[in-house]
Amino acid sequence: MERDGRSDRRHHRQALSRAPLPRPATGSGGVAAIEAFLDRWLDVGRRLARPLARAGGLLVLAAAFLVAVEVALRGLFAVSLGGADELSGYALAIATSWGLPFVLLERGHVRVDSFYTRLPTRLVAALDVLALAVLTAFLALLGQRAGLVLADTLAFGSRATTPLSTPLWIPQGLWFAGFVLHLLVALPLASRALLALLRGDSATVLRLAGSRTLAEEAAAERRAGP
Amino acid sequence: MIATALGVLLVLLAAGLPVAAALGVLAVVLDASFSAVPLTVAAGEIAWNTGKDFLLVAIPLFVLMGEILLRAGVAERMYGALSLWLAWLPGGLMHANIGACALFAATSGSSVATAATVGTVALPQARTFGYDERLFAGSLAAGGTLGILIPPSINIILYAVLTDSSIPRLYLAALLPGVLLALGFMVVVAVASGLGSRPTGTAEVPTRRERLAALVHLLPPLFIFFLVVGSIYLGWATPTEAASLGVIGALLLAAAAGRLSGSMLGRALKSTVKTSTMILVIVIAAAILNFVLSAIGLTRQLTDTITGLGLSPWAMFVAMVFFYLVLGCFMETLSMMITTVPVVVPVMTALGFDPVWLGVVIIVLVEAALITPPVGLNLFVVQSLRPDGRIEEVIRGVLPFLSAMLVLIGLLALVPDLALWLPRQVMG
Repeated sequence: MERDGRSDRRHHRQALSRAPLPRPATGSGGVAAIEAFLDRWLDVGRRLARPLARAGGLLVLAAAFLVAVEVALRGLFAVSLGGADELSGYALAIATSWGLPFVLLERGHVRVDSFYTRLPTRLVAALDVLALAVLTAFLALLGQRAGLVLADTLAFGSRATTPLSTPLWIPQGLWFAGFVLHLLVALPLASRALLALLRGDSATVLRLAGSRTLAEEAAAERRAGP
Repeated sequence: MIATALGVLLVLLAAGLPVAAALGVLAVVLDASFSAVPLTVAAGEIAWNTGKDFLLVAIPLFVLMGEILLRAGVAERMYGALSLWLAWLPGGLMHANIGACALFAATSGSSVATAATVGTVALPQARTFGYDERLFAGSLAAGGTLGILIPPSINIILYAVLTDSSIPRLYLAALLPGVLLALGFMVVVAVASGLGSRPTGTAEVPTRRERLAALVHLLPPLFIFFLVVGSIYLGWATPTEAASLGVIGALLLAAAAGRLSGSMLGRALKSTVKTSTMILVIVIAAAILNFVLSAIGLTRQLTDTITGLGLSPWAMFVAMVFFYLVLGCFMETLSMMITTVPVVVPVMTALGFDPVWLGVVIIVLVEAALITPPVGLNLFVVQSLRPDGRIEEVIRGVLPFLSAMLVLIGLLALVPDLALWLPRQVMG
């Protein structure tokens, strides 16, 4: 079973990082060079998004242990470490923002695809690019606001109003970093998809930005199985 | 204002925008059109405070617990044991399907995970023993939905956070309806197989000794259930704390079964982050939108408009059920809950419905959404586990089970105490 899982994963990783690279550009030399550059960039992004997500997962796991220890100590010895709830909250916020690049590249964001996917392929591809662009813009805006929160914290040297009085720039800085990294992947991804769209290469657009079909989703769920 | 908001949202969603982005755009548009002061300035603070909410920490923890249990091999042995006990009923192993789903649901907060876990173990049996594969697949897709009704449940946590109600109270309220729905599914199995002429059952009849010996395999899921749900009911732990205990318990079970390894844990963690990021991005976008909605007074305007219609509460209730059944055909269920609950529940509570009772009803409707085509994720999960055959067969097979859900909603409407009695007894 383990072996199955591993080979599945290897297969999956191959599918992601060594997937047939987008068709060589048929456009002018300059555009082709830009596309090749973006592809290389995205390759690096794919390789980094996975460990970043896993690091977020480790934070969640650490939070689980911390909170469990807190409950056990409280239950058995009526003592409290204090701060487990606060720290696990930070872990959640950071894990979420660190998961953003991975979810983006895995096309994991939830979309209502029962309607628009029935349109002609060119239109579907155009809406996929639009969806990617709007998502990028929204998360960039959110990231900018996250940056403002961090800037305020730094300016006032804010600490949490808790017994730990955590210097807030630490968790907020790590949180903000996730948004920045997301933008560093989302911008080239959106540009690459847009270039493909303009060239009429709908297949590449769907591969980069298309909605995951329910069948794909279910297959992922099954892969996770025992 | 209401029409603008609803129109914009529907167009954005139908155009295939990610749900989180659609909610964000709507917030920005409403802010720009209807607010005197720019409201989305607060977006950063809202995102931070929502993103680090201790209650929401329960979501990745429950997801992680499920990911570990999924890989721990708990389900195979549990299914085997249940089939020894239940396969003599008319409908044979399909009762083990329902039973295993219900029991696994007591350790899992997700319906998709429940259907995938039990389905992996159960589906190969269908052909071996010559079952009607449609009904067999249907029983797994429907049984899997119990995952979010029988506590623990990720969807109930979201409902509680969105409506500011108590998670322990909701968990207690959902327990009895969860058991009833499982029994209802079994009745459906018995009736449907009684009418059909297909053979059911397994090869040999187990001895009593075999049966008793098999009971030990029910202990792991029961251990997780008592660890997680028991610690909440007994007041030892908050839901988030209980979820962390569940993660530790799941790790122990996986280690005891010899399934715990670095690569297994790595995959579980990656999957956990993916799922919870996906959920939390929507939750954060919805929190920003809800802030704008209440600031520009739209939530109250909507409540006033609907209560001003002068419809009787029960007419509204029927409308709500219908609304969710239709919406559930087209929307992924978590995003459906996050987008609708903050608007629907205040209206319904203003009409006099109990928010805890309403939560149970909405969760059952979300279960229905998981098995109604074209977008019923559980249908696709079960279909992906089958070696061949068409999805239409799963859809055909699941339809009888939908009737059990509708009956349960009817019962809940007639006898609200089905949900409310237990929390009242335990929590006063």
